[in-house]
Amino acid sequence: MAAPQARIPGIPLTELAQTLILGLLVGGVYALLASGLTLIFGVMNVINIAHGAFLILAAFLTYSLWTAIGLDPLLAIFITTPAMFAFGWLLYNGTVRKIRKAPVAASVLLTFGLALVLEGLMGSIWGNTSHSVRPSYANESFEIGSLFLPKAQVFGGIVALIVLAGLYLMLTRTWTGRAIRASAVNPQGAELVGVSVASVAALTFAVGVATAGAGGSIVSVLYPFLPGSHYQWIARLLGIIVLGGMGSLPGALLGALALGVAETITAVYISPAWATGVPYLFVFVVLLLRPQGLLGSRLREDVATA
Amino acid sequence: MSQAAAPTQEAQPQTRRGSGLRSPWTALIAFAVVFIALYPVLSDDLYYQNMIILSLVFAIGASGLNIITGYAGYVSLGQGAFLGLGAYTTAILSTKVGADPFVWVPAAGLLTGLVAAFLGVVAMRARGHSFVILTIAFLFLVQLVATNLKSLTNGTGGLTLAIPTWSPEYANWPFYYALFAILAGSLLMSWWIRRVKFGMGLIAIREDEDKAATVGVNTRAYKLLGFVASAVFVGMAGAVYGYYLTFIDPAGMFNILLSVQIILSLLLGGRATLWGPVLGAFIIEPLNEITNNEFGGNTRLLIFGGLLALVVLFLPRGIIPSVQRWLGERRTRGKAGVVGQRLDGRIEIQERQPPSPAASVSDKPLLEVKGLEKHFGGVHAIDGCSFAVPEGSITALIGPNGSGKTTAFNLIDGTMTPQAGEVWFDGQRIDAKRPWARAHLGLGRTFQITRLFREMTVLENLVAPLRSFSLRQLTAGAVSGSEAKRAAELLDFVGMGAYIDQPAHALSYGQQKLVELAQVLMLDPKLIMLDEPAGGINPTLIARLGETIRELNAQGKTFLIVEHNMPFVLGLCMPVLVLARGKRIAQGGPDEIQRDPQVLDAYLGEDFVLEQAVKA
Repeated sequence: MAAPQARIPGIPLTELAQTLILGLLVGGVYALLASGLTLIFGVMNVINIAHGAFLILAAFLTYSLWTAIGLDPLLAIFITTPAMFAFGWLLYNGTVRKIRKAPVAASVLLTFGLALVLEGLMGSIWGNTSHSVRPSYANESFEIGSLFLPKAQVFGGIVALIVLAGLYLMLTRTWTGRAIRASAVNPQGAELVGVSVASVAALTFAVGVATAGAGGSIVSVLYPFLPGSHYQWIARLLGIIVLGGMGSLPGALLGALALGVAETITAVYISPAWATGVPYLFVFVVLLLRPQGLLGSRLREDVATA
Repeated sequence: MSQAAAPTQEAQPQTRRGSGLRSPWTALIAFAVVFIALYPVLSDDLYYQNMIILSLVFAIGASGLNIITGYAGYVSLGQGAFLGLGAYTTAILSTKVGADPFVWVPAAGLLTGLVAAFLGVVAMRARGHSFVILTIAFLFLVQLVATNLKSLTNGTGGLTLAIPTWSPEYANWPFYYALFAILAGSLLMSWWIRRVKFGMGLIAIREDEDKAATVGVNTRAYKLLGFVASAVFVGMAGAVYGYYLTFIDPAGMFNILLSVQIILSLLLGGRATLWGPVLGAFIIEPLNEITNNEFGGNTRLLIFGGLLALVVLFLPRGIIPSVQRWLGERRTRGKAGVVGQRLDGRIEIQERQPPSPAASVSDKPLLEVKGLEKHFGGVHAIDGCSFAVPEGSITALIGPNGSGKTTAFNLIDGTMTPQAGEVWFDGQRIDAKRPWARAHLGLGRTFQITRLFREMTVLENLVAPLRSFSLRQLTAGAVSGSEAKRAAELLDFVGMGAYIDQPAHALSYGQQKLVELAQVLMLDPKLIMLDEPAGGINPTLIARLGETIRELNAQGKTFLIVEHNMPFVLGLCMPVLVLARGKRIAQGGPDEIQRDPQVLDAYLGEDFVLEQAVKA
């Protein structure tokens, strides 16, 4: 399913260029989704396994909005993002907050449980069949010279980068963003200078889930989805943040683009059947060669247990 | 199997104290074991036989998982992959090579062990959070391979195994008792691991992995072996399971829900207990049957997802430890713990001899650091640092906060690797050695913020350090008599003898510091590195600490001490090394240091005059 469109006959160089561009566009969407996941990990040491389920939930919401009132899936972002933000905030305060001081593994198990619950709920509401959102432009392409770029991919990639830029501005230019980053770097220090790390954690979780909201709307146009798709998505997103370095936002961007390109190349030149294996391979290779990831840093661990 | 039940009372050190729990508990287990052993003979109800067979599969999975997750603390969400691997091994071998699938059960165990070893190699450098991701990736990867390698696995079409050849009279007996035997083997291994050094090391890793490495536990080898141990029996069970199902396909065998149910069994029953995984499995599997028959897919997801979340939130310890804790609390209600009690009469304050003459300080350096560099991004924590610690000395390492003292410690003991430079210890270059290898050579350290293994008792903390690594050592008893004796002596030496059976987390900070010192002494190190030993300790204890250090020094131990308490340092240490901005800026006796203008500028401050301060 990761193979965006079939190969175009033509000279190999065009094919390669096409593959790379599509890979980068897909990578942009991945980057948005992975940024939320890595942000949550960076600030509160929680690996949110339910991230994939959140994005599929957002895709289903987009689907319902599209079928009910004909809302364009990319405009649905304005609804899914705040809705998922609220959902994330409630979920954090209802569940994740309780295990804030527990080891990372507890958060993995908890959010895994939440993911299963969400999968079951989505299956009950929308059924376990494949859905997709097909607005008019879904079957059209931009033709630039000999390149064919599907409009959905282009729009999706651009929207993802806009949302990502918004997230970046929020983190770097607002007080809230600084509080989030401060809490990520040094929770005790942040508390000392008047940041309530507990509420920042709730906020960050909600922001992270909101990115899954925006990303889910985009994904609904690009790929067919069903409740069980969340496993593949979380595996992919985990591969990205492990590659980029867990907790690193630039790392997530880099890892996402790399994965987008690597998956597309695998699908085109090897076989679409093996493309889903690329993120798993990433995890293995990274942990063997550079456990901290591309841009991750190894933290000083002797005082980390304080 | 009833013999296997008897020793369990000791498998858990906690239950040893709960004497009220022991006999009914053992009787209950014995009864359950006998009941399950005889069930096919007593009843030919295939519905319940099937339920027990699947429960046994879950129990083997969870009991294996217990080794790596319960003991070593590494959560794996890919345990189901080992079942699938075992099933596929048997299916492929019996269809391609021939012979009864049961013949291939050991092969399935072997192959699963090998795969686990490979995974262990990848995982060795990974810590908790990346490990769990690795296990998820592993499960999906095997599933993908099973789907795509059609020539071997027939892809999504699945594989069909031969129909059993034995007389239908025996029905499911061979499957039933094969799994029963595998579970017995798995439990026996789990029980044995908990009682030997291997298990102690795994638990030390769970409590604090870096710390375990600095006290001589070869964490990589332990983790690798732990991972293999957690997989082998599961692979064998998978082989029997696959044969029992007669049809296997990637979606069924590598279903992540199976892994979730296995880990849920472990969590629910109780991690790091012998019988917890079994108890959990016999709750979760029947629940699985019922929900599957009554409700179907989505509700099943809701129930197991919800149960997983609820267990993590409200029953993180699991059933067995919670019950033990509850019984323990009921028994000790109204009695003060040892930790908070006044200790008059409990500790004999030993008449100390006047400080023995300091050991002869030789010119030969025991530890030498040359041109060491460690950068964190742009921060040059250690910037071309060189110094030597003479053998037999009590050397101090002082300097302003952030001058790189603790980083220097971390580079010397191997917790971190330098970007450049050399570390020499006792005539050997050690900067490429792992922390445990350095500990084996005779390097011991304490931490600025104490790092005892919190869930262990003080005694267990003291016997956790290892002076060497060998396969034989893994199988040695966890607490040998001679070790316990030496531990008691050392605890008396630091004045903590009364606390020997207390859990480490119950001690106060200062008490933990003293226990940590005793723990390092268990290694019998040549060089003892103390990171702020006097921080957070009351003045009387500081004085005791000074005496203790002098006494040990007189016995031939060399010390390297990082400390901010200047009267303590200057009264005790010679020479004193001064670090600033990652470099050594001065060294010499206490008097020289106090007059050194560079030191006054960088650290002590213009108005530092120790003598006057002490006199006043």
